[in-house]
Amino acid sequence: MANTYTLIASSTAGSGGATDFTFSSIPNTYTDLVLEFSVRTDYTSTFDGCLLRINGDTGANYTIRNVRGNGSGATSASGSGVTNLFVGSIPGVNATSSTFQNAAIYFPNYAGSSNKSLSIDSVSENNNTTAYALLAAALWSSTSAINTLKLYPEVGTVFVQYSTAYLYGVNNA
Amino acid sequence: MSPILGIMASSISGSKAVTNSYESIATVTVGSGGSSTITFSSIPSTYKHLQIRWIGRSTRSLFVDGSIVRFNGDSGSNYSKHNLYGTGLGSVGGENSTSQTGINLGDTIGATATSGNFTPGVIDILDYQNTSKYKTLKALQGYNFDSNTSVIGFKSGLWMSTSAITSITITPEIANYAQYSSFALYGIKG
Amino acid sequence: MAAGSTYTPIATTTLGSNQTSVTFNSFSGYTDLRLVCALTSSANQNNYIQFNGDTGSNYSSTYIQGDGTSAASGRASGSAFGFVDYVGSTAQHTLTIDIMNYSNSTTWKTWLSRGGNAGNLTISYVGVWSSTSAITSLTFNNGTGSGLLTGSQITLYGIAAA
Repeated sequence: MANTYTLIASSTAGSGGATDFTFSSIPNTYTDLVLEFSVRTDYTSTFDGCLLRINGDTGANYTIRNVRGNGSGATSASGSGVTNLFVGSIPGVNATSSTFQNAAIYFPNYAGSSNKSLSIDSVSENNNTTAYALLAAALWSSTSAINTLKLYPEVGTVFVQYSTAYLYGVNNA
Repeated sequence: MSPILGIMASSISGSKAVTNSYESIATVTVGSGGSSTITFSSIPSTYKHLQIRWIGRSTRSLFVDGSIVRFNGDSGSNYSKHNLYGTGLGSVGGENSTSQTGINLGDTIGATATSGNFTPGVIDILDYQNTSKYKTLKALQGYNFDSNTSVIGFKSGLWMSTSAITSITITPEIANYAQYSSFALYGIKG
Repeated sequence: MAAGSTYTPIATTTLGSNQTSVTFNSFSGYTDLRLVCALTSSANQNNYIQFNGDTGSNYSSTYIQGDGTSAASGRASGSAFGFVDYVGSTAQHTLTIDIMNYSNSTTWKTWLSRGGNAGNLTISYVGVWSSTSAITSLTFNNGTGSGLLTGSQITLYGIAAA
């Protein structure tokens, strides 16, 4: 049986930064999607948030539940009927230089006819006491096939230069 | 007709599909004498990301040892680490270590565990070739130590260097890796 | 260094009716196994795995979870079930399970999982099956009868090391 795990597309922010990473017209020829990203923002703080929207949906159609570590303790938060998904913390201007988030999101059966669940693993490092790790389960309450994914900063205006995002398709048997 | 995939960003570096993007690079399995260090050297530059999938056990005469990751032979104080963990006894918490001489992932089950019990782990490093980024690793691992304590940890580590990663060493903190410990390196194209 | 493309889909099951379990038993030639599930399963139940038909008290699992209010952890020791997941509602959710060095005949078998559902909790497990036997069959179970619901999709992948 053939191996799978196909790079569909990648994107790198240039010298001016990128306001977002949007993958659109995603083909429905795979079974699952994997989005891996390594980003940093221009927000003048230590950490910013990274947000995700699916198919351009700005409605209150997202739910998420996480467990999060900050280097000192563990907490949990949730959002139900929210308008985007928090997919981890991003180093900002005041974080250790040249650090970028390391994150992956798994979207199984993204083109199926059920609501779309996803799993998020994210870390952002900092040579300081505080850095963030996040494990999350999320849901986009739509039976539409996923054809667009948009990552964008929560507060900052851009993902800074060298930020990257990679979209992979995985086929089942 | 399939729609053409669109990518919008201020700079686009590639949209051509690459099949079979996940490849095995090398495996190190510890032999009968044990091993003080696991080394992946001459790592090819042809991938974007690395993944290490491993099972490990230490010869330390205690229930746990550490596992220290270093890159390109750098043993300077150029690393930091953070940990989100939960224990089988019900405690959760976080840890942080800054300006360290390696990324100590911990949680490597030791010689007082029942024979055959190993720690599993998966380590991911994105953009390991990028010469403008410090290198951040993400790791999920843990152990179930027989009828006593157990741990699951979700960890991050930072190597404060923009050098491309060409070698990785993983070393027990105290003792050696026991026979049958196995570390497999994979590359993911991007 | 040898290089080889890997990450091979071995088998996929898409449930046409509610089931209690799904079993895979033809997966030789790999180093690790990976189960990826887009699941709908009965509420307030654990999902678990068993190997080689072993229903003895030979599994231990430790988890960390977040329920939206607080983080927590715990362990099931000497259990008949290898826990990988917990769901509090029947909403669609994602589960991935990595089973390491499954064909090794000298080590116990270990796994790492990521599961849970958005409406209830996110959860991750590390588990061990206290047997040195190579895994030749893998059963994915829900804790209730017919608790894996219609439309759930479960795929087994093999990952071969160099």
